[in-house]
Amino acid sequence: MKRILNLMPLVVFGILVVVLYSFLTQENEQLESVLVDQLVPEFKLPALENPNNILSKSSVNKLPALINVWATWCIACRVEHPFLMQLKNKSTLTVYGLNYKDDRKKALDLLENEGNPFEFSIFDQQGKLAIDLGVYGAPETFFVDKEGIIRERHVGALTQKVWKEKFEKFLNEDNDV
Amino acid sequence: MFKKFFSLMLITIIYSLVSANEPKVIYPFEDSVHEERFLSLLNELRCPKCQGSNLAGSNAPIANDLKREVYRLVKSGRTEEEVKTYLIDRYGNFIVYDPPFRPDTYALWLGPLFIFLITLSIILVILLTRFSNSKGNQ
Repeated sequence: MKRILNLMPLVVFGILVVVLYSFLTQENEQLESVLVDQLVPEFKLPALENPNNILSKSSVNKLPALINVWATWCIACRVEHPFLMQLKNKSTLTVYGLNYKDDRKKALDLLENEGNPFEFSIFDQQGKLAIDLGVYGAPETFFVDKEGIIRERHVGALTQKVWKEKFEKFLNEDNDV
Repeated sequence: MFKKFFSLMLITIIYSLVSANEPKVIYPFEDSVHEERFLSLLNELRCPKCQGSNLAGSNAPIANDLKREVYRLVKSGRTEEEVKTYLIDRYGNFIVYDPPFRPDTYALWLGPLFIFLITLSIILVILLTRFSNSKGNQ
């Protein structure tokens, strides 16, 4: 009995090492969004394509839709770009862009060279709407259902796998109704 | 030699103090109450991108945007609670270092209590065995 007791600190230490080490290597990149199940926030921002065209929430009217936060400085956005093009060509879903803290000319050049998957892009140079959406890094993708309610948020590149796991179900649900 | 070393050290310290006070330069306040509120908020709020540090200690673009937002809110006279609520509505409890009490955070909230109880019982067992031993020896 006493021997076991003497070993206790070692055992506790061992358990702590294992537990803490497993937390250390665990990536905690995905934060839950509080925006899920809420309406898209109001905004008043210019269009990327035309600074004189002031967009608002009512401009986002082809629902259901994705809102994709992107920028030319964002590497992972390049990664997901082909998939967004694919979505545009294959599905009926609208994709809106939120061009985040970017340079207008660079952004327009990129869309011209690599294709434009977006219905339009909102030009959010100050990251105003991004803060209202709880954005903390590009790329981020929000699914907005046909009632204008945000149903899901993904941080990081939108791939086929992520699409299947997190977003596709909402599209089916919307078609059923 | 020593003099040179000390003057170098002094310069380094002074410069580091200057840079520590940087927010005051970038975010000017007329009201010192507001300024204190702003600085304490930066220390209490967490940077959502670089999850280990607070807003004050981070230079990530998102942290700078949030600092600017906090500055704007504080300057417009919002209270500390109002600013926090504003950010929680957008970034969740995460941003105030206040994890919710849910199944996936039970370990976080109850862990310390659990460890305390285990420690307490170990101490009790040790004390009891000692007590009974000394009784047996008498």
